Amino acid sequence: MDELFLLILLGLTSVGAYLIGKRRGLSWSEFHRAVGSMLESVGFSLVFFLINLGLGVSLILAIRALTPWFVSLYLADNAVLLILSFLQGLTFQWWRATSAREEGGQGIPR
Amino acid sequence: MSSRDGWSATCAEHDRRAVRGGGVTGSRIYRRLGELTVALFLLIVFTPLPNLLATSLAIPPQLAPAEAIVVLGGGGVWPDGTLSNLSLRRALHGILLQQKGLAPLLVFSGFERDRHPTELEARADFARELGVPSQATLTVNTTTTRDEARRIQALLRPRGIRKILLVTDSQHMARAQLLFERAGFEVFAAPADDFSNISEHPEGRLELTRRVLEEILARLYYRLAGYL
Repeated sequence: MDELFLLILLGLTSVGAYLIGKRRGLSWSEFHRAVGSMLESVGFSLVFFLINLGLGVSLILAIRALTPWFVSLYLADNAVLLILSFLQGLTFQWWRATSAREEGGQGIPR
Repeated sequence: MSSRDGWSATCAEHDRRAVRGGGVTGSRIYRRLGELTVALFLLIVFTPLPNLLATSLAIPPQLAPAEAIVVLGGGGVWPDGTLSNLSLRRALHGILLQQKGLAPLLVFSGFERDRHPTELEARADFARELGVPSQATLTVNTTTTRDEARRIQALLRPRGIRKILLVTDSQHMARAQLLFERAGFEVFAAPADDFSNISEHPEGRLELTRRVLEEILARLYYRLAGYL
């Protein structure tokens, strides 16, 4: 039931966004490119998340080994880290895209 | 042109342009990673895969009479001094087992932070309020699961205690049980979960996946460190 509700909701807003995009003259090939860029952003976000997680765990283990303080590894297990990593990935992707645009074709097209 | 052809053409054009900038391999790798992540996310949220994983890793109850009930720490206390849901659930399960007569002694483990009351104090108070005599309760300040096994061994073995009922969540149980068995105890699992291993909702399956991954990584770390 929850799944169906979510799928209907997302389907409705997606169709709505598509119709608005069509009316404003957005092209289908650009949509494909946008999906590609979105997937790259997700890929970057995953890499940022894994690096953040790995670095976090290493820092905690270093603190444990080098100081008398105990820091729990659960500190690195935080949903906020996932969201902030996503923002990092998104920002990095946009940085590449805008730089490529200025340099005329490097990295992300357009 | 079909939609798939359109997608391929767009990707090819993307790659051609990226080659000029030397970034094609990177772009392709990140796009594949993105595809994999989105596919995995949809699989987790819209299929029962997390339930299958969680139930396969969980340890079922093996209740039997023992000499002590060991309730592992978890979750600590909230800023207002109330036990967290996880800590409360485990403590309550331990108290109920003790009141059913499965073991005379109740051992609470927990991490003493600067905050008062600590998890240990709050659990001991809770047990007293539910009618457990003070002399039937022991508390031990611990940090990690490995530390819990070592310190509880030092606390209970001199008292001649060998059979214990171990209370923790069912995902954590396999790792904890092995550590306590290595510490010389005969362990009966008494899992107490604050989150079901079967979730019927997308958000619940996401949370379940987080917990399962957390435990898989913890087991991996313990194996690499030589603790298991």
